[in-house]
Amino acid sequence: MKKLQSSTAAKVCAWIVLLCAALGAGVFGVRALLSFQSVTTDTWQSGSRFYNARENRYRELIDGVYLTQRLELLEKKVEEGTADAVTYADIEALKENRAGVEEHFSRDNTWFRFCLTDADTGKTVGTNLAEGESMLKAVKDIFRSTIELSEESWLEYGYYDPSAYGYEIAPGDQAGQNADDTQAVQPRRLVLEYGVPEEITNVEIQDEFYHIWQAYENDRVSFDQFLTGFLNLGALAVIALLWVLWSAGHKKGRSEIVTTWQERIWFDLYAAAMIAAVVTLAFCTIGVTEQLYWSSTSLYAVQSESYDSFFKLGVMGAGALFAAGVGCGSLLLRTFTVRLKARCLGKTTLLCRVVTWMVRTIHDFIRFLPLTWKVVLGFLIYTMFSFWLLTQLWYDGGWILAWFLVQIALLLFLSWWAYGYYRLRQGTKTIVGGDLEYQIDTRRMPYDLRLQAEDLNNISAGLSAAVDEKMKSERFKAELITNVSHDLKTPLTSIINYVDLLKTTEQTDPKAQEYIEVLDRKSQRLKKLTEDLVEASKASTGVLSVTREKIGMGQLIDQALGEWEEKLNDRKLALVTTLPEGETWVYADGRHLWRVIDNLLSNCSKYAMEGTRVYLDLERGKGQVTLSVKNISRDPLNVPAERLMERFVRGEESRSTEGSGLGLSIARSLTELQGGTFELAVDGDLFKAIVTLPQAN
Amino acid sequence: MYTILICDDDRDIVSALDIYLTSEGYQTIKAYNGKEALRAAETHEIHLILMDVMMPELDGIRATAKLREGSNVPIILLTAKSEDTDKILGLNIGADDYITKPFNPLEVIARVKSQLRRYTALGGAEKGPGLITAGPIAMDDGAKVVTVDGEPISLTPIEYNILKLLLSHPGQVFSSAQIYEQVWNDPAYGSENTVAVHIRHLREKIEINPAEPRYLKVVWGLGYKIEKGA
Repeated sequence: MKKLQSSTAAKVCAWIVLLCAALGAGVFGVRALLSFQSVTTDTWQSGSRFYNARENRYRELIDGVYLTQRLELLEKKVEEGTADAVTYADIEALKENRAGVEEHFSRDNTWFRFCLTDADTGKTVGTNLAEGESMLKAVKDIFRSTIELSEESWLEYGYYDPSAYGYEIAPGDQAGQNADDTQAVQPRRLVLEYGVPEEITNVEIQDEFYHIWQAYENDRVSFDQFLTGFLNLGALAVIALLWVLWSAGHKKGRSEIVTTWQERIWFDLYAAAMIAAVVTLAFCTIGVTEQLYWSSTSLYAVQSESYDSFFKLGVMGAGALFAAGVGCGSLLLRTFTVRLKARCLGKTTLLCRVVTWMVRTIHDFIRFLPLTWKVVLGFLIYTMFSFWLLTQLWYDGGWILAWFLVQIALLLFLSWWAYGYYRLRQGTKTIVGGDLEYQIDTRRMPYDLRLQAEDLNNISAGLSAAVDEKMKSERFKAELITNVSHDLKTPLTSIINYVDLLKTTEQTDPKAQEYIEVLDRKSQRLKKLTEDLVEASKASTGVLSVTREKIGMGQLIDQALGEWEEKLNDRKLALVTTLPEGETWVYADGRHLWRVIDNLLSNCSKYAMEGTRVYLDLERGKGQVTLSVKNISRDPLNVPAERLMERFVRGEESRSTEGSGLGLSIARSLTELQGGTFELAVDGDLFKAIVTLPQAN
Repeated sequence: MYTILICDDDRDIVSALDIYLTSEGYQTIKAYNGKEALRAAETHEIHLILMDVMMPELDGIRATAKLREGSNVPIILLTAKSEDTDKILGLNIGADDYITKPFNPLEVIARVKSQLRRYTALGGAEKGPGLITAGPIAMDDGAKVVTVDGEPISLTPIEYNILKLLLSHPGQVFSSAQIYEQVWNDPAYGSENTVAVHIRHLREKIEINPAEPRYLKVVWGLGYKIEKGA
């Protein structure tokens, strides 16, 4: 089946069958059309052909009557002795003509029957009816007409155009005229009755009526054949057309629909040309048929041999025109089908393209208009439309319905917007709530909201990526610190252990003991430094976990004093603490806060001048708790306060004393981790550290 | 004569520990990764294991878990990671104690001794009616004697009373003021700062490393407590 569909030979065959069938159908159709009148009428005498033939005979007969009258006039002249030579010649010519008329209307030559009677006397003047045959029985329909004959009419008017004047105008006018004119001869009135018999019995008499009758009989017999032929061939043509349409666009070895040059023409232009062609051809076919019909009613055509071939040619021509029309129509249908199959009907239609372009341009124009303008324009249009509707409301109740419909449409439009906004809002809330993976559904959203939603989706995607990146980097940092601390601590363990072992061995050189002491001291310092370094980096990168809870500052200072008081006393430092009444609660991580205070007190023990006092003040107010540690530096503080908090910076630059220089840096990082602030103030030799934390109720 | 298995991928640390422990009179077996430790534990009678955490082939945590399947020999983890999570994980998996690197040799020996005493003297001390214990700490209230790993320690009456208060309520945090009121039987009017000093002294007597207490813990900003179930 597929093979047959794409077969070129089958296509060509289908086209040939289609055109041949259309040609045949056309011929049969024209013939059927021509013989259609014979079928619809009951008798052969009701056709226009018969009418024409009968009228013709009538006119000829009238001519004959006038001929006779003139002959009689001339003969009367001869009797009166007023005749001249010309008269005799005329008489001879007229006699000859009359004989011809008599011959023409002889019963043996024609089926035309007539009876001419004198209206005044009732005497039959002339007839071709058989003896004793009545007119009523002889013909199907009797036609009657009255002829008034006057002498003047023949003198005034020429012989050669008697039918028009003699028959139509002369009798009425002259009758009226003559009625008043007493001098005039009373015109002779004749009644003519004529007709044609229903049955043509003797085929020997072959006049026009015989031919008309024969054509009628033939039409009646062959109409069915023509119709059958037309229908069958028409059906064949339709089947061929269906085949053509079915196989159109398919080509051997191609799976897709193949378009031809015809499909490259704009469809509307193509269709217009083809429809014009089809209409023209249809008119031509009808015109030819009409011409054939009327020509076939002409008397001369009936008997003519050459007319027969002309008729056949005409019918063939009409059929060919019909077939051409069908061909054009089929071409149009074929390209339409191919375009439908290839789904390019809209694309290849000029009108469609133009309309699409216009709609898109307007759409884009409206779409890219700023929202403000859209609102203003929309509102203006709505207002104008409403106003127009309101003016109509005065006249017709139906407009009220229209007005309500407009309101409902407006409501639906606004609801659409509101729902879109609702979705946008929900999506934004979800994203703000931390679900960065969330994507707002932008389907069926108003254009402007959709742009917003898409931007938001992009932001959340970007943010999500950034957060992932940050998490990765944090994990990497934490891992790095852990690994570095392990790698530093392992060799340090060996150093400390072996230095310790060295201490227990006997040294022959007294200097060796001294060296070992240095090693021991420095390895211990290295240990402290390593621990502080790890802690400092952990604190500053935020890798440390912070568990904030309600902490009693008084209790913590108490505990800190318990740890440090003796050591400070050993350094001849007096601790002075000022605490507010009752317990002061803060939100902090106890261990981290302890490290802050521990570092500060450790700093005091390291750098405070001996014999001075260390002040520890706790204050609360405005939701803040402030702890300040003040001491007098042993060495001049030759660095600004900010620099003291930097890593590895100590009050004196020599670095000979214990301490890593990380203490304050760690303290600040830890305080900030807990949501507090850490400040340093240096006033001469007075060193002041202030830790501020949020108060807990 | 106790046999101690030392397991660390750093040979120098193993040698150093070997020297210390041998000089203390212990027999040692050396292993350099978790698998060797497991093999040694199968073939020898081991009384204590010192195990590093970060080792190739089989790390200390997994080795500890494997050993715990069929043995209750004391295990002390040596860890360079001072992360709290590592310590907690090690203790949960079945280790008895931990020492962070870089360690003090004396602390190692003290912890080894403590664990061995506990391991070998199981059930040695009778649980009398007046006996309060928490981990290695045992307080005979009748005799007013406090022992840590069976070793008697001398305490002042105040220290004794503070320890008794904390031991009677393991896990409970007492603030300085509460301790003062309970021990001194006086309302605390800012004079409770002496409690912190007493606690420090007490910690120095009980703990092997007072800077890293195992039993008598400081809850910073809240008070003090004896670790529950230690």
